[in-house]
Amino acid sequence: MREKATTLYIGPQHPGITGNMMVRLKVEGDTIVKAATEVGYLHRSFEKLIEKRNWLQSFTLLCRFCVPEPDPVEESYARAVEMIEGREVPERAKYIRVLVLELARIGSYLLWYGGQSGSLGLYTVGQWSVGDRNYILDLFEALTGARVYHMYIWPGGVRRDFPKGFEKKVIDTMDYLEKRLDDYDDLMFDNAIFKKRTKGVGIIDKEKAVEWGVVGPPLRGCGIRSDIRIDDPYEIYDKLDFIVPVEEGGDIWTRALVRRQEIRQSIRIIRQVIDNIPGGEYYNKVPNPQKWALPKGDAYARTEAVRGEVGMYLSSDGSINPRRAHFKGAAYVHAITLLEHLLVGENLADVAAIMNSLGTCPPEIER
Amino acid sequence: MMMEEIKTTIIDRIKLHFSDAVEKEFSYNRLDFSVKKETVPSILFYLKEEMGFKHLSHISCVDWLEEGEFEMIFILWSPEEKIKVFIHTRVDRSNPVMDNIDMIWRQANTYEREMKEMYGIQFTGLEAPEEFLLEDWNGPPPMRRDFDTEAYAAKTYWERPGREDALDVRETVEKRTGEVLPEFAKKYKR
Amino acid sequence: MSFDLKGTLKPLTALKQFGKKPHTLTNVPFIPREAADRYRGLHYNNLDECIGCGNCSTICQNQAIDMIPVDGIEGKNGDSGLRPRVDHGRCCWCGLCVDVCPTGSLSLTKDYVYVSEDADSFLWTPGVDNPEGDERVSFFSTKETSLNDLGRIPMPELEGMERIKSFAEVVLGYNEEQARAEASRCISCGLCTEACPEHMHIPEYINAIAGGNDEDAVRIIYDNNPLPEMCGKVCTRRCEDICAIAHRGDPIAIRWLKRYATETVENADLLKEIINPEIKEPNGFKVGIIGAGPSGLTAAYYLALKGFDCTIYEANSKAGGMTMYGIPRYRFPEDSLDKQIEYIQKIGVRIHFNTKVGKDISFVEVYHNYDAVFMGVGFPKPWTLGIEGEELHGSIQAVNFLYEINNGKKIDIGDKVIVIGGGNVAIDAARVSARLGADVTILYRRRVQDMPADWEEIEGAEAEGIHIISQAIPIQFHGDEKRHITTVEYLKAEMEPDEHGGRPKPIAIEGSNTVIEVTAVLGAIGQQGDYSFLEEEFDKKVKIERGRIVVNEKQETTLNKLFAGGDSANRTADAISAIADGYRAVKGIEELLMKGK
Repeated sequence: MREKATTLYIGPQHPGITGNMMVRLKVEGDTIVKAATEVGYLHRSFEKLIEKRNWLQSFTLLCRFCVPEPDPVEESYARAVEMIEGREVPERAKYIRVLVLELARIGSYLLWYGGQSGSLGLYTVGQWSVGDRNYILDLFEALTGARVYHMYIWPGGVRRDFPKGFEKKVIDTMDYLEKRLDDYDDLMFDNAIFKKRTKGVGIIDKEKAVEWGVVGPPLRGCGIRSDIRIDDPYEIYDKLDFIVPVEEGGDIWTRALVRRQEIRQSIRIIRQVIDNIPGGEYYNKVPNPQKWALPKGDAYARTEAVRGEVGMYLSSDGSINPRRAHFKGAAYVHAITLLEHLLVGENLADVAAIMNSLGTCPPEIER
Repeated sequence: MMMEEIKTTIIDRIKLHFSDAVEKEFSYNRLDFSVKKETVPSILFYLKEEMGFKHLSHISCVDWLEEGEFEMIFILWSPEEKIKVFIHTRVDRSNPVMDNIDMIWRQANTYEREMKEMYGIQFTGLEAPEEFLLEDWNGPPPMRRDFDTEAYAAKTYWERPGREDALDVRETVEKRTGEVLPEFAKKYKR
Repeated sequence: MSFDLKGTLKPLTALKQFGKKPHTLTNVPFIPREAADRYRGLHYNNLDECIGCGNCSTICQNQAIDMIPVDGIEGKNGDSGLRPRVDHGRCCWCGLCVDVCPTGSLSLTKDYVYVSEDADSFLWTPGVDNPEGDERVSFFSTKETSLNDLGRIPMPELEGMERIKSFAEVVLGYNEEQARAEASRCISCGLCTEACPEHMHIPEYINAIAGGNDEDAVRIIYDNNPLPEMCGKVCTRRCEDICAIAHRGDPIAIRWLKRYATETVENADLLKEIINPEIKEPNGFKVGIIGAGPSGLTAAYYLALKGFDCTIYEANSKAGGMTMYGIPRYRFPEDSLDKQIEYIQKIGVRIHFNTKVGKDISFVEVYHNYDAVFMGVGFPKPWTLGIEGEELHGSIQAVNFLYEINNGKKIDIGDKVIVIGGGNVAIDAARVSARLGADVTILYRRRVQDMPADWEEIEGAEAEGIHIISQAIPIQFHGDEKRHITTVEYLKAEMEPDEHGGRPKPIAIEGSNTVIEVTAVLGAIGQQGDYSFLEEEFDKKVKIERGRIVVNEKQETTLNKLFAGGDSANRTADAISAIADGYRAVKGIEELLMKGK
């Protein structure tokens, strides 16, 4: 009997996916009948390495868990350490951390713009968004000393205070980005082809979404209001005024809309932070790192990154080295079990678009 | 309801249905339960279906080499009550066997694949491809604490030459002053 | 599907970008981009400020930093002589090495471009390979941002004016929590061991205390110092002056930690149990030791461990020498040495108290009865002031005064005392007088900052209400008809810089005579040795130069089988130097007697 299905591979090298991973597809004609994600191209065994380093040295490895947006990882680690030890973080440090997180969020969404539209053939958006993201990277460079791997948020606070004139630079960049959002709207969202390609594709079932472990914009795109910043607030999010956008539908289009609205909310949050940031200390200094031991215990700190819930589980045995540092990224669920389920019945041409809309990020899956 | 009341309700209901659950409270919205490993599937099912903990945040494993046990931790979140519950259980390290729970949450399949590969824990009834993150690995499960990655790297790979002239600061000063450090003190060096 | 007109036309508005200026860098002319003010680029190290402590190498989580010797940089006290070399193939530019540098010499620059076909050239030494990096420094650490623990755990002490009501010990000692916290500040670089005359194994015992292993700490200390409670209370702590953390913060309290470690052992029996020393079989040689001061006790202890039969002759009723009889009780309580002396006796050392060589037993006898003799006789005689009126009643030598007070005698000094001198003996005498109820003033001929006394002692004296008149040269004491002192007359002095770079000289100002009323004057301008016990021909055979016994690096004198150490033989004149002398003499004696064995 003639086989109807054939096996195709998306990845590990593919212009439509956001990293190095492979999806093995069984296709009949153009329709996918089975999908299996294979990861393992980016495993750097960071978690084992962290067990050999002390609590402060480990924080330098964390930013490499996710390249477009390294800060939520640093922040969840710092917060988990503070939870185990019971260390207080000064108010100003919390505001600065929120600023950094939101700037990273905008930067990552801009990259996502390029990825999502690029996967559908609209390459211009990617050229614009990488150029705009550069302004945010400039802000990071002025604040932290590095453009991509910041290594700035550490247990106890942040590493350095604002440089002179930084607040004005931030506001100027935000003003610029707000104007640019209209350009993106015109080209990407008000685009007939984009709408036709994304509406009704990659639908997540609202009833099963939470059970399937969907988090972040995909979940909000299903009509469920869920955001760690309001459900389980951390840092100073409970003092800030922002909306969590929710759309009904569960397809790529609604997810894109949610992300688009969140950029505007992030800009709003950043403006509030700059207006209300108090003075004071920016760092609650930790003891000599060579001898700093945490009491026995464990903690799990969750942060809302652009992809959804990222969390760091830390377990301490009372010594100067972490006993276990286990990072969970949103893509761990989205890119494997959820993707394998969603792709069944979809068109081969839409695979890259669906993967981008779920926010798959291979470094975060494999660490 | 206030967080305290929520916690009390959960503790009461869990202890009613699961006699071996030992609770631990925290000052923030977290509650821990330690159970025997056989109870794990039923307590997770109960929390998910009957108490609204629909979201599985994380499954993790810690190797307590000195005690001869693996500790498995399941972290659940209730979107309604906004509280986290951690389920802790211990598994014997010399023969680690756990029940598969991916029929409760499908994504547990991925976590279990990683535990199997990294720690060597067997999950009865788990259906998954053999390899997950590692490829062509035939050594011991690498995340176990008795697997020394530094020793493995020293054995398998060669050091790039060029750094042999590195000196130790303490030894340099010792040589210069004629200080003789006794053997039993050497373990306190930096 | 309906035709989406808006969705077709709107994207065309993107064409307006043709009219906008590109916001990425233009290519013509090419202007290299300058990094931000805080950029983390390639390393730079200020080679003069760097002390080679190796803390950067320890914190680097990629093991990218090696400490290597560099041409033109010699190691010396406080500087290991090594400098960091960075492997830029492994470095991740996290900047932790910068934040953890105790002197702040290591920093990161704005340079980030480095291109080379030779992979080995990526190993380079900051500061040596890029001396111009000095102008490009962008990421550096300051006192506020440093990751070193700069503040010392404060030592509980009795309050200033409370103290002078009694001779109770001023320093109360660390408790366990404070000791562990203080020991955790140490970065274990080991530069302090070079400053210590005895080269004690400082980072190791501090790490033992930090980890909670007090017994191991005691064992490590006893490896080359049998009098840690003495040092833990009164050492001059050269180690702390050179401590890496002292560059920008408080040095580690090495002296107090040593004191804490010994205080955790309650008695001499437990001490012997913990240290459990290996005592060799008696080798048949006998060593005689004159003086149970720090040098004599140290020599006796280590010689006894090596199997020598040791006997000490001590003129006073208690061991300790100058520390027991010259240092006041509020710094050094009477029972401070009991545990250590008892332990030394337990391992077989014999001490004959109240036996003065030269009076109760002759030097000749000692010299001939023993296979080797060690002298730790100290500097017991004070220098006289050499001014008129010195012989009046009430004009006392401070050293004798302190000796009598420590022996429990009562000395009436009245209520207005002047102390002449600026060293530790002067401060001790002043603070003792304050406790006896007097109003005390110190006269010193140079400025306060030139005083050789320990700055902690000077501060302690000022906190107890003692006045210091600096730049004052006493010229005469006046007395009444009963030949008792009534006033001190002194001249003010101005400082003249010394052309050789030494301490500036005080030059008396003509006509600036000032007179103060006193009831007693204590003179403390220095001490000398008393070698009258060397009878007959020994006096000529033992070479003495400028008051000190001449010894070689093995502590041998010019007389066969006679060794010497301590204040009478060295120029540094503190307890730890005496201990170091005793320790060195052990090797000398062992070589002399055991050669050929």
